[in-house]
Amino acid sequence: MIIPVLLFTVVVAFINPTFITKANVINNILRSSSFSLITALGMTFVMIGGGIDLSVGSIMGLGGVVTGISIQANIPIPVSILLGILVGVIFGLINGLAIVKFNLAPIMMTLGMQYVARGIIYIVTQGAPVYPLPAEFQSIEQNSVLGMPTVCWFALLLAVLMLFIQTQTRFGRATYAIGGNPESARLSGINVGITKCVIYSMTGAFAALAGIFMASRLGSAQAGYGQGSEMMIIAAVVIGGTSTFGGSGTILGTIIGVLFTNILSNSMTLLKISMYWQTLVIGLILILAVLLDGYKRKKSTAM
Amino acid sequence: MALLEMKNVSKRFGNLMVLDNVDVELRSHETLAILGGNGAGKSTLMRILNGTYPYDAACSGQIILDGKEVYFSTARDAEEAGIVMIYQEINLQLDLNAAENIYMGIFPRSNLGSIDWKTVKRGAEDILQNLGVDIDVNIPVRSFGASMQQQICIARALVRKPKLLILDEPTSCLTETETVRLMETIRQLKRQGISSIYISHKLNEVMDIADRIVILRDGKNASAYEKADFDADRIVEDMIGRSISNMYPKVDKTLKEEALRIENFTVAHPYARNKNIMENASFFIRKGEVLGLAGLVGSGRSELLRAIFGAIPKHSGKVFIEGKECEIREPAQALRLGLGYLTEDRKLDGIISTMNIKENMTLAILKKLSRLQVMDHKQENAIAQQYAGSLNIKFRGINDGIMSLSGGNQQKVVLSKLLMSHLKILFLDEPTRGIDVGAKNEIYKIINDLAKEGMSIVIVSSELAELLEICDRFVILSKGTTRREMDKDEVTEHKVLHACSGLD
Repeated sequence: MIIPVLLFTVVVAFINPTFITKANVINNILRSSSFSLITALGMTFVMIGGGIDLSVGSIMGLGGVVTGISIQANIPIPVSILLGILVGVIFGLINGLAIVKFNLAPIMMTLGMQYVARGIIYIVTQGAPVYPLPAEFQSIEQNSVLGMPTVCWFALLLAVLMLFIQTQTRFGRATYAIGGNPESARLSGINVGITKCVIYSMTGAFAALAGIFMASRLGSAQAGYGQGSEMMIIAAVVIGGTSTFGGSGTILGTIIGVLFTNILSNSMTLLKISMYWQTLVIGLILILAVLLDGYKRKKSTAM
Repeated sequence: MALLEMKNVSKRFGNLMVLDNVDVELRSHETLAILGGNGAGKSTLMRILNGTYPYDAACSGQIILDGKEVYFSTARDAEEAGIVMIYQEINLQLDLNAAENIYMGIFPRSNLGSIDWKTVKRGAEDILQNLGVDIDVNIPVRSFGASMQQQICIARALVRKPKLLILDEPTSCLTETETVRLMETIRQLKRQGISSIYISHKLNEVMDIADRIVILRDGKNASAYEKADFDADRIVEDMIGRSISNMYPKVDKTLKEEALRIENFTVAHPYARNKNIMENASFFIRKGEVLGLAGLVGSGRSELLRAIFGAIPKHSGKVFIEGKECEIREPAQALRLGLGYLTEDRKLDGIISTMNIKENMTLAILKKLSRLQVMDHKQENAIAQQYAGSLNIKFRGINDGIMSLSGGNQQKVVLSKLLMSHLKILFLDEPTRGIDVGAKNEIYKIINDLAKEGMSIVIVSSELAELLEICDRFVILSKGTTRREMDKDEVTEHKVLHACSGLD
């Protein structure tokens, strides 16, 4: 996966040198990648664990709106941010509990939650953006550290943390086990229910965080923010090599998948290819990734 | 006259030569058994023959059916040419009825192009009656037992008018009585002119049914015997390439105090509503004892063990471990109390196919291998290597995928997973199903060694001969409860079968 991404980058850079200017790389590609990566890290765990979460887009929007409203209600900014994250955790936990306790199909439960969370946003905001938000709050995302926007640093740190959790902890191992074969995992003494709840709560928190960062960047919390982005995130995770059947995938792959989808749309914009074509190309690449996954699975279980 | 000739058949997977110039001939009116250890190439050969593995560039050699060279690229091609396979796993659509299952894919059409249900129903009834099976073909097959489902699979094969029937381990989920019935069916088919190729690990069965035996080893022809020359020891030797002096090793040991006692266990039926598969079952086991739970398939043997282990809910019943009453609601609790359960079907709920060998081994002791969630990879590697050594698990690398192992080695991996958590009591549900003779012998040795060290082991096995040999005492399940007990010195196959069928 790394090789095609690099190859692609070189070709585009050759055609349009703007592509590798510092401003484009940092401000456009890395910045937009960071927003998707934060949520995609959680989604990677969800999908390795054999699930899927369609509610992240709405939870992104909800996180930003809750934090925005709290700030407007004169609650201190750090507390407001925590409240936003907390709401993300609660919605994720409800996803997890429902999936575990009532044995609901993750795709249906989280689809329902997608509507519920979006509905709550619209009821509370009446569809209007929450703004203005104070400069101190805006500066969180808009400031740079060592020439990189804070959101990039945050996404990087979170990725390193998740990489550690995935490869070095018992929880990480349990995630692979419940995605590979939940019944074997349960009979081996792994608490499948708790593991799933933690995964969905975590993903809810990450989605809310991405939404809060976006509210900070725009200086306003948009009621529609995140709509449809769950699909882009799932696509990036799958392109990064996470199996749609659960049980396999890596954080590194997800980073590459997110970078790739963002580089792709950025470069196509620079090459003046219309938005409509971009959507089509991403779709084709996603199908290719799924085909590849199916092929790998077939090969590994053929004997 | 040969019905089928396979000449110099070879097949490679990548660089791996799984079949190397194999010759097999099947005469008409013959039942031929193909034997071999895991990885000998039996299944691959059969899959080439029936088109599941398309005959492609990785294959070479000739396949001659009825004097004509044939090469199939799908199972359907093979079926149309008269080769039908009955698989080890029962692959019926459980929610469809028998008639629908039997005619699946070849439904007769009426003039209007819709399915001619009348013919379907009558045809299914006829063919089942020929097999001596009298069932209502309108009932979903889920409600039938494994044996009946197997018969439906055979009916489905026969309705395709085969010249040649391939049976791949057809008895792996049948009991002895059901096996006898299947053997009778095969003989009857032979009289009607249908030749069969029979594949099984169960030697006594094979020697009973086969007219001729072809033995494969490491993808090559090892030997072949006519019925008159069948000799169990030589066949086993040819299969594994060495001799086993002691199939069921014996041990001297003294039995000590009670380890586990079960009182009045009642467990709900997994499929039927408001029905119990097990009622008021009670038994006990001493330290160092090997206890056999004998019962027919569907007698609730697995369900009883699963309920004790906390894998499925129980209605009522008490568990005492070393005299102390314990409440077990989840497998995790059972494992903490030193009680382990090796499942009946390792692919279904034993191994995790996406994980590697090491990860499968250490799954039950992740807590012990980590501090504050952080895993100690060094210790994990060390303990996995140690158990791989002591259980003689053969692999190229311990980080290879579990699916790269043969069935016997996979079973040893699942077993080592349990042993690592230092158990006092071990439930083994069909511990030798689908593994070759050599690996079986090793599993028996492991069981003996564990018992000698004082572990209590409860075994469920459909292979009665095996059960009688390795157990010290027997509890017989029939009519949904623990019917009676037998000691080693009073037990015979006949007595156990009699008791299992509820005839005593």
